[in-house]
Amino acid sequence: MEPASRLDHNHQLSLREFPYIIRWRDDRCKRCGRCTAVCPVKAIVPAVKVQRLVRSEGPVPMPIAVRSTTHVVEQVTDMERYCTGCGSCTLVCPNEAIEPELNPQSKFLHYKNKGGDGYKRGGRRNDPSLSTLDRIKFTRISMLTDPALDAGRHEFRIRSLLGRVMHPEDMPLTAEGGRLAIDKKNNVFVPPVREIFPIMIGSMSVGALSPPMWEGLAMGVAYLNEVEGLPVVMASGEGGMPPRLLKSKYLKYFIIQIASGYFGWDEIIHALPHMTEDPAAIEIKYGQGAKPGDGGLLMAQKVLKLIAEIRGVPQRIDLASPPTHQTKYSIEEAVAKMIQSMSMAWGFRVPVYPKISGTKTAKAVLNNLARNPYAAALSIDGEDGGTGAAYNVSLDKMGHPIASNIRECYLDLVKQGKQNELPLIAAGGVGKRGNLAANAAALIMLGASAVAIGKYIMQSAADCFGDEYNRCNLCNTGKCPRGITTQDPKLYRRLDSDRVAERVVEVFKAADVELRKIFAPMGRSTELPIGMSDGLSINDKAMAERLGISYAC
Amino acid sequence: MRAKKKKVTSNHKDSNKSSVTSNELKTNDKGLSLSPDPLLVTCYSLLVTDGVTPHSSLVTIKGSAGGERVPSRILEEQIQHAVQEGARELRVVAEGQHGIGGRIWPKGETVRINVEGPAGQRLGSMGMPGTEIIARHSASDDVGWLNCGAKITVLGDVTNGAFNAAAQGTLYVQGSGGARCDTMTKHNPRFDPPQSWYFRNVGDSFAEFKAGGIAVICGVNPRDPENVLGYRPCVGMVGGAIYFRGPIRDYSQKDVKLLDLTPQDWEWLRTNMRPYLEAIDRISYYEELTRSADEWKKLIAFTPQEKKSKKASGISASDFRKNMWEKGVGQGGIFAEYLDHDLTVLPYITTGADRRNKPVWANEKYLPPCAYACPTSIPSHKRAALIRQGLLQDALELVLQYSPLPATVCGQICPNLCMTSCTRGQLDKPLRIDKLGSLALDLPAPKKGKPTGHAIAVIGGGPAGLSAAWQLALKGHTVDLYEAADKLGGKIELCIPRERLPHRILEKELSRFRELGVKVHLSAPVDRQKFDEIYKSHELVVVACGAHKPRIFAFPGSGDIVSAYDFLRGINSEKLPDLRGKKVVVIGAGNVGMDVASEAYNYGAESVIAVDIQKPAAFGKEMETATAKGTQILYPKFTERYSKEERKLFFKDGSSLEADLVIMSVGDVPILDFLPPGVHTEKGWIAVNDINQTSDVKVFAVGDATSLGLVTHAIGQGRLVADTIHYELMHAPRRPENKQVIPYERIKTGYYDVCRGDFTPEKEADKCMSCATCRDCRMCETTCYWGAISRIEHEGGAFEYVVDEEKCIGCGFCAGICPCGVWEMAENI
Repeated sequence: MEPASRLDHNHQLSLREFPYIIRWRDDRCKRCGRCTAVCPVKAIVPAVKVQRLVRSEGPVPMPIAVRSTTHVVEQVTDMERYCTGCGSCTLVCPNEAIEPELNPQSKFLHYKNKGGDGYKRGGRRNDPSLSTLDRIKFTRISMLTDPALDAGRHEFRIRSLLGRVMHPEDMPLTAEGGRLAIDKKNNVFVPPVREIFPIMIGSMSVGALSPPMWEGLAMGVAYLNEVEGLPVVMASGEGGMPPRLLKSKYLKYFIIQIASGYFGWDEIIHALPHMTEDPAAIEIKYGQGAKPGDGGLLMAQKVLKLIAEIRGVPQRIDLASPPTHQTKYSIEEAVAKMIQSMSMAWGFRVPVYPKISGTKTAKAVLNNLARNPYAAALSIDGEDGGTGAAYNVSLDKMGHPIASNIRECYLDLVKQGKQNELPLIAAGGVGKRGNLAANAAALIMLGASAVAIGKYIMQSAADCFGDEYNRCNLCNTGKCPRGITTQDPKLYRRLDSDRVAERVVEVFKAADVELRKIFAPMGRSTELPIGMSDGLSINDKAMAERLGISYAC
Repeated sequence: MRAKKKKVTSNHKDSNKSSVTSNELKTNDKGLSLSPDPLLVTCYSLLVTDGVTPHSSLVTIKGSAGGERVPSRILEEQIQHAVQEGARELRVVAEGQHGIGGRIWPKGETVRINVEGPAGQRLGSMGMPGTEIIARHSASDDVGWLNCGAKITVLGDVTNGAFNAAAQGTLYVQGSGGARCDTMTKHNPRFDPPQSWYFRNVGDSFAEFKAGGIAVICGVNPRDPENVLGYRPCVGMVGGAIYFRGPIRDYSQKDVKLLDLTPQDWEWLRTNMRPYLEAIDRISYYEELTRSADEWKKLIAFTPQEKKSKKASGISASDFRKNMWEKGVGQGGIFAEYLDHDLTVLPYITTGADRRNKPVWANEKYLPPCAYACPTSIPSHKRAALIRQGLLQDALELVLQYSPLPATVCGQICPNLCMTSCTRGQLDKPLRIDKLGSLALDLPAPKKGKPTGHAIAVIGGGPAGLSAAWQLALKGHTVDLYEAADKLGGKIELCIPRERLPHRILEKELSRFRELGVKVHLSAPVDRQKFDEIYKSHELVVVACGAHKPRIFAFPGSGDIVSAYDFLRGINSEKLPDLRGKKVVVIGAGNVGMDVASEAYNYGAESVIAVDIQKPAAFGKEMETATAKGTQILYPKFTERYSKEERKLFFKDGSSLEADLVIMSVGDVPILDFLPPGVHTEKGWIAVNDINQTSDVKVFAVGDATSLGLVTHAIGQGRLVADTIHYELMHAPRRPENKQVIPYERIKTGYYDVCRGDFTPEKEADKCMSCATCRDCRMCETTCYWGAISRIEHEGGAFEYVVDEEKCIGCGFCAGICPCGVWEMAENI
């Protein structure tokens, strides 16, 4: 037992080392305890403070000691319970008495390595500076030079193609009853293609997300397709999909992801005979922008009953997907084998494409795909992509920015004359500062056929607290105060999936409007301006040169 | 200017002119007009056209003179001039000139302009009230553009953009309209709304952004028999009305609504139809067009309120879930089959089972540091609580349930680990638990339990044996205690200096021990044979023989030194040494070594030096006393040899100390030759398990016979072994003794003031922070904002604090502010 020794603050951290400091106002607090009840990490606790004053009010020294013991809300100085700045306390405080404040002097990373393990978190790269995407401007505005379009008046069809687009000359066409038709006798493989809205919801797994979050997104996507006629698709992530959805008619709006962990895939295969619709596509995950070269990770805190059942694993164990797919030893083999298997599972009726993290080697993968007639697309997830759990070092320091990566891949396709054949999907930091449509349009005009979003939709549809100042980012702990990335019913029941769906609909409708506002002045209404880089400028010469766009200041 | 114009003849010829004229007439296929070449405008500014006759009843202005087309600018000047000169009837023979008939201010009169020939774009644009224009043929784009009151009649078709941005006036069209007619029309409340009438149909994108005015499309012989309003009319329309007759295909449903005509609409239409048809020379259609309101429909803009509610009244997400989503994926959604909880939404602040954490009144779940640190587990906090309740006597007596020798041990010889760990020590000074022990000196023996009929033997009358016998006797067992010496007390009696323990205190407490009725056999050494006897005649045997064989390291001259055991025992047995003027060295600077040093000084030693091979283990009172008397401690010192002749003790580091007497104090070992082979020993000590049982299940062993320790350790083991035996003999479940200690931070020292003053039991009781034990202060009850905590009292004065789950939000205030650390938060599973 420790002695009642006189050691007091030895090796104790001061609040100054912490990333967020709680500003608590004694004069406003009514000690109702809402803040301490709601704090996800117990960074604040009720505590007892004593003040002792000696007063002397008489004409001569007449000391009176006055003691007063009060109850306060106090921040703990335990790194395991650091305040993440999520602001749940502020949210629930009826008196505006409490608020976490960012501490720029923090030495958080110096200490966040207890037990000899690196700091793990969720979220995305902590970098609040202006991203390349946000520096890109649309500078080719048509007013009198081209037929200017009116975003509010003209009809727009902002659509993209997901799937390999066959060259018309190669199409095995025949005339049937005076109409063009595919000549099936010819035995030529005609790749499947889907027409989609060019912004999709990227892969976030059942497991990484809570049931109401995942279902809310899924419902929003279904609503957009069924009610709004906006063909938005959503990728499943690698945690499988609930059989109810697999067997439903809504499956066609979903891209099913297969990753190296193969979680939930037995259920998917069992559901195959019962599927009434094909999925929108199959995404083979080889990498993730948030943690390139690192595998998937679902922390044990989140592997509760539901997830264990859907994924087919025991409860409360860390679920790691290896960084690489096992049993595959080269690009050729890895990609070709997986694409073949996945295409075959749905009778070659479904586009199958790989997703990699942004990397200098993206072109090597791309060129491999360009030669593979079954490859439907390439998805590249840049360094600003998000995740439910990763080492901070992977999040902050690993990976390639998406802008130049997608650009050089596109230009590579241009060189081969295949830019209209193999679509590129860009992701990673789209809408990082809220400019969803502008970032998407910039990537499209740099060469992407579509973009995928993750963190943005969590923030805008479910009020995720996370930001680029490491606010909250508790996704890995299962303690998400918003109920987005937790499997604890007490937390995730805070989230109303109807409300999430409603917001998804609003977000995509607004993005559709904003894309028109960008494309209309550039004279585009029905053709997505993929690779229309002459419309772009940037106020940095080096960036302009790297991206092959003009410099404007 | 006017004079100049008159001089210039219209016969002026320019070789370039004819080609330019033809250009000017041309209308590009996008409906845009080409402006006159600026160079030519300069040339034409010198011209004036003849044939203008002011003040005549009809003035004819020709758009072509001498085979040459008159530029738009010149024609405009001629018209303006003629009107200024008083002309009120004009005949314009147009040749494609721009903007004919607009911008005329007849000052309250009416100017009639008949346009013959092909009018150019923007006929009658910016027309004013009092201007009446009749075009005899079809007109080009933008007829009536920005009309501010002119009546324009076109006896033919109008092409694209007719009436664009018109705000007042009328447009009567005998044929059909082109694309984008009636866009951006307004209604300024200062004037009547503009009207536009089309006899046949209109083209695509009709009435975009229409903000006011009335358009009528009669639908007679339309060019597209399936659609009289063209493609996507009314986009962005926010005001005005469109009356139409005939089929339409589509219109901007987000902006306008399709309605039947009201009687007022019908009345207006019938009334205004007649002048229109007369103006376009189609009065013969009046009957057909006004025969039934049912043939007509109108499109009017949604009001802002309607638009707002329309937006809101789209399919709600919950309707979508109910009527579409769950029909596709099943009741309860895609995860329903996996979830076993309600699918309702929870607030952030929850009560009952929905709380993330809940408070638990964990009274006495943990041990306070004092009781935890005490090897005898004396609950000093309970004594303080009893004193606070005014039950001083009960408090003092409580200790006898734990130790037969409180005044001796707690009050005198114990290092009081309880006090070392007392939470109060963090604030000012620990509680005087030693004094509480001393106060127990004069207490009588407590009452014994009912006789159980079980007989147990205890071998050894030292602290361990006394404790075991005391506890067993208290529980009603019959106890035989065998002591080799002629007095009870073991090493307390034999080896503890009387200076530290006044003998009367020990004697007093031993006499209390005797009161309990343990059969004490003094001067009864136990050998192998005796042990077997005892073993056979008792159900269980507790061996508490202590360690009475001093350890002596062998080194040259070690035969000439004495042991601490013999030295101290000699003094307590009145065999007093004479150490006057002698230099004494003690090997081994533990607490026994300190006792030796003190006693050596007491018997006249000139100097005492204690040496050790490591940092001395001595602490507390023993060390304080010895050093106060002048004892020096040296370490590390490894003894090499002792020379009695030289009176020197030599060390391996080459140093030496003068030593008339060397006393070795490196501990004692038990003498175990009386034990049968069935009781295993290990390296000279009796081997026991965690309940102090030996390899023979009938034999238990406690105290120094198992390993060296403090007196309080021996007493604690005696008590525990007695408990174990009792519960075993009585077939009762063993009482859990392994409570954890409460962490210091759980105790809120802030409530207590630093205090000064002398010892009284009452003061001490108030000082006790009651760690881990509810002091019944009601702080929690008062603090709980939600009123969820209340105190309930049970029969017999017992109380507890309980939580109303339906009020509690799990905030942890009770746990955070409880002075005693009794409340704790637990995950609410």
